[in-house]
Formats: sequence, structure tokens, C-alpha cells
Amino acid sequence: MVAMSRSRLLWPLLAGLTAASTVCLLLGFGWAVKDMLYPAMAEVGPELATKPETDEALPLEEATEIRIVAFGDSLTKGTGDTTGEGYVKLAAAGLRDKLGKPVRIINNLAINGMLTRELSEKLELGSGYRQAIKGANLILFTIGGNDLFQSARAANQGRPLSALQIAGMASALTETMDGFGKVVQTIGSINPDATILYIGLYNPFYDVEQLRSGSLEVQQWNTNAYAILHKYPKMMMVPTFDLFEWQIGKRLSEDHFHPNHEGYKRIAERIVSALE
Amino acid sequence: MHKLLPLIQNETLKIWKKRRFYVIIAILLALIPIFTYAELKVAQNNADKFTDWRSQVLQRMTDIENTLSSDRIPEEWKRSRRVLLGQLQYYLDHDVDPSAPNAVTFTRGFLSNSVTLFIPLLILALGSDLISGERTSGTIKLLLTRPVRRWKVLLSKLCALVLYVSLTVVVTALLCYGISGLVFGYEGWGLPIFTGFRMTRDTIDSSQAHAVPQWQYMLMMAGLVWYSALVVAVLALMVSVLIRSTAASMLTMMATVIAGTILSNMSSSWTSAKYLFAVNLNLTGYLDGSPPPIDGMSLSFSLVVLAIWGIVGLIVAFGVFTKQDILN
Repeated sequence: MVAMSRSRLLWPLLAGLTAASTVCLLLGFGWAVKDMLYPAMAEVGPELATKPETDEALPLEEATEIRIVAFGDSLTKGTGDTTGEGYVKLAAAGLRDKLGKPVRIINNLAINGMLTRELSEKLELGSGYRQAIKGANLILFTIGGNDLFQSARAANQGRPLSALQIAGMASALTETMDGFGKVVQTIGSINPDATILYIGLYNPFYDVEQLRSGSLEVQQWNTNAYAILHKYPKMMMVPTFDLFEWQIGKRLSEDHFHPNHEGYKRIAERIVSALE
Repeated sequence: MHKLLPLIQNETLKIWKKRRFYVIIAILLALIPIFTYAELKVAQNNADKFTDWRSQVLQRMTDIENTLSSDRIPEEWKRSRRVLLGQLQYYLDHDVDPSAPNAVTFTRGFLSNSVTLFIPLLILALGSDLISGERTSGTIKLLLTRPVRRWKVLLSKLCALVLYVSLTVVVTALLCYGISGLVFGYEGWGLPIFTGFRMTRDTIDSSQAHAVPQWQYMLMMAGLVWYSALVVAVLALMVSVLIRSTAASMLTMMATVIAGTILSNMSSSWTSAKYLFAVNLNLTGYLDGSPPPIDGMSLSFSLVVLAIWGIVGLIVAFGVFTKQDILN
């Protein structure tokens, strides 16, 4: 008798539940179709939830935690380092040891092959970069290498290198310098309190007879870049050319362009020495 | 309508008595905590690595851009990444976290990932033996010798099945919400979710994109999941009419559904595959704006293809069932 009354209850319960589910889902389905096929254009949508809490970091000296944001080209990405660390991680580890403070890499936004113009666009448009830079107290970046060596690198992939590419470098240099100035200015205005290190360029083709003179263009770039950075007391350039020019076999990776692990380690040491 | 309602009642109770639905609930109860745990680990990992969600999204975008700059990545794959990139930028620009960990977001993720395979399998467990099961046990004779027209018998079974499909989708969503909420908290209903992204050949068009609150998004998504599941259910019913053995009919449908998910992952150059029903099951993808598996597919296309399959399935099922001889 108990079983009987239970099954009598079961049907209304099941019928109610399943029918309600069906109606509910049918409604959802209709809504989805309507919304997808005839989207309500004027709809503003619900009030956007969170306002960006401007999480501005303290200057490096006063901060209890070092917050690194790195961006730029493949050098910052760590391309060529078979361990995948790159100078950013190595420098973070070095700073942790030397300064005894917690070090945190908030973002490494480097993109392979990035040109100065592209970085400039990212800083102007992408709301993300601004937010990241604001939250950092140590900013590391590399840029310019691809602008200068673009022609030489394209040639490297197929045709033999020639002195012609060096001429291309010279013209790229003047064009790109303005862009670099704009990048530096933007970074400085987004976060004037952060310590900002620019990693200088080196000539990866120093050992190639026809391309050795490229070092002169590289030095010209470094000098001009230093002059731009010099206007900002919180900015500094970390030179790298002397680390590589006589040590290309040992410190460059097999692509003959990017540093290897050893090369990145040296760059990281320089960064740590500049900050300790 | 004469006598139909009692028949539906009978069929519904029969399915319930077979205890298949208990098994479905048991499977959900076992699986959802596992996924919740996995999701929790991801959230903890992100919390360790990133100060806030913006840097996490930014990092993800950078990683995608780096893979895009590689020559060795296939073009189709790049296309879907570019679409994702556009969406992430949109979320960032509007300052909305696309994956805030909460129970509603978890449920949304679970449903959208289960639409192609998991939900269909649950439905098959219910629907594959509706007719063949009666045959195997011999009860089909009792059923058909009653003074009821055959089409009414099948219709009542179909109605019962539809009711269970609804119940399965809703119970899945509720269990997801209930279980994951223990860990992530029960908020998140009002979170804005963007929908209405459109794919052109190479880029994403966000001019039609608009935000809907997550509860509405959930409802829309559940509706689409339900539609997919319904078509699977109808086809399962048809196969169960056509194939005498329960095991064989379940296997046939399972193989078809699984083949569909495999095909939609690899068949983009075989364009006529888009007319197969199993390739069209991922309706929720249109809602979140992921690129369709094959060019030329859109929500309306998939809805129509699925509808045609469903209608043909019904015609075959009723046609065969009303005519066929019942032998031992």
C-alpha cells in the first residue's frame, strides 16, 4: 500500500518537474535564437561590474615586493634560451637573491619579431599594457633589434649576407629612433615612479666579415637611445654589445641572432648589478 | 488526445522504474566534483601567478600572439586563435573578467563542453532501449496487443523521452551549480557575458557583440543544449526502432556521436561534412563566438540541419514502427 501511494505521488512530481524544465528550456532556446538572429542593437547591456582598481606600485626602493613587467621583442621573450628562462626570469631570480625581497614577474608581454612601431601601437591602444605598466615598479624592455636587423635577417634565411643590408640598417635607424622616443615617453607618462631598464642592442653578425661594420650602426642606435632615456632620471640603459661581440660562438644560440642561456645569464647579471 | 496522457504517464514511469536516471545522477555526482577540483586548481594556480585577472588575460593574449607569429602553425588553428584574441581584447577593453571563478561560470563552462558528447551520451543511455528493450524482454507483444494504435504507443514514448531530455539538462545544470558553488560560491548571476561575435573569413566582427547577464546567457545556452539533445534523442528512438538489439542500437548511436566530434575537429576541408547531424551538435559555440568547425556553418544553418535530421528520424521511426511485423 505504501509503494502504491508513493508511485501515485511520483507521477505528478515527475510530470511537474519535467514539464517545468521543458518550458524553461524552450524559453531559453527561443531567447537564444532571437538574440543570435536578431540581436538587440541598441542594448547597452548590464552595468559593467568591476572598475579597474588602480593598483599602483610603490617605487622600487620603498616597495616590499618587486613587481616586474617586461615587454618588447624576442630578446625579452627569451627566444634562443633552450631552458626557456630568458633574462627576465634570470634577473628576477638574481634580484631575489641580492635584495632579499620577494620578486614577482607580473607579465612578460614580449612578442617575437616585434617592431618599434608595433610596440608603440600596443602602448597607445591596448588598455591592457597601461594597466600592467601601472602595476609594476620595475620595467624591463627590449626593442629596435628587429627594426635594425630586419633586412639582414631576411637575407640570412636564404640569400648570403652582404654589405648592402648594412646600408638598409642605417636608414632604418633614423626612422625608428622617433618611434623609440615615443615609446619611452609613453612608458614614462604611464608610470613615472617605476624603475625602467632598456636592454641595449648588440651586433650578432660581428663575426661575419661584411657585416662587422653593422656594429657601428648598433652603437649609433645605443647612443641615441641613451640620449633619449637620459632625460628620465628613473630610466637606464643596460649595455650588452661587449658581452657578445667577441663571444658570438659561446653566447649566441644556433640561429646566430638570439642569445643562448649563457648569453641571457650575462644580461641578467648586468640588470642585477644596475639595481643592487 | 484520447488516452494519450495515461500512455505518457505509463511510459514516463517505466523509464523511471528502469533506474537509468539514477545512474545518470550518480555519474554526474561522481564527475562534477572532479571537474570542480580541476577548476579549483586552475584558479589557485592563476591566483599564485597573477596579481589580477587583467594581467592573466593580457598574458594569455601575448602567448596567443606569439603562436600566431610562428610559420609552423596551421592556418585554421591561427584563425580560431585570432578570433579568441579579438574576444579577449573586447573583454579587456570593457573591463570584464571572462572567466571569474564562480558557480555560474563553472556551470556555463561545463554545459558548453558537454553539449557535443557528454549530454548526448546521457540521452542515449535513456533513449536507446525504448523500443529495442521491449523487444529484448518480449514485452513489446503485450504493448502492441492492447487496443491502442501503434503510433500512439510510439508518440507516448517520444513524449516521455522529451520530458527526460529536459530533466537531464536541467538536473545537469543544477548539480553543477550546487556542487561547484560549495567551492566557488554561488554568485555570478549578474556577471556580463558578451555574445553576438561574428566570424568573417579572418577576423572577428564585434560590432554586434553585446553583453547579457550571465543568468540569461545560461538560460539561452541550456536552451541550445536542449535542442541538440532533443535531436539526439529522436535519432536514438529511430535507431531503437530499426535495430532489434539494445546493445547494438546504443553502440550505433554512440559511434555516430563520437564520430561527429572527431569529424568536427578534423574535417574542415571536407565541407559537405557540415550536413551530418553530429557535426552540428555544438550549438553553444555560436553563442560564445568560437569559430564553427567548417566554413559556412552558422546558428541558423545548424538549427535547420538538426531539424531536418530530427524530422526525417521521426518519419522513419513512425513509418517503420507502424508497419513492421513483430516476430520473436
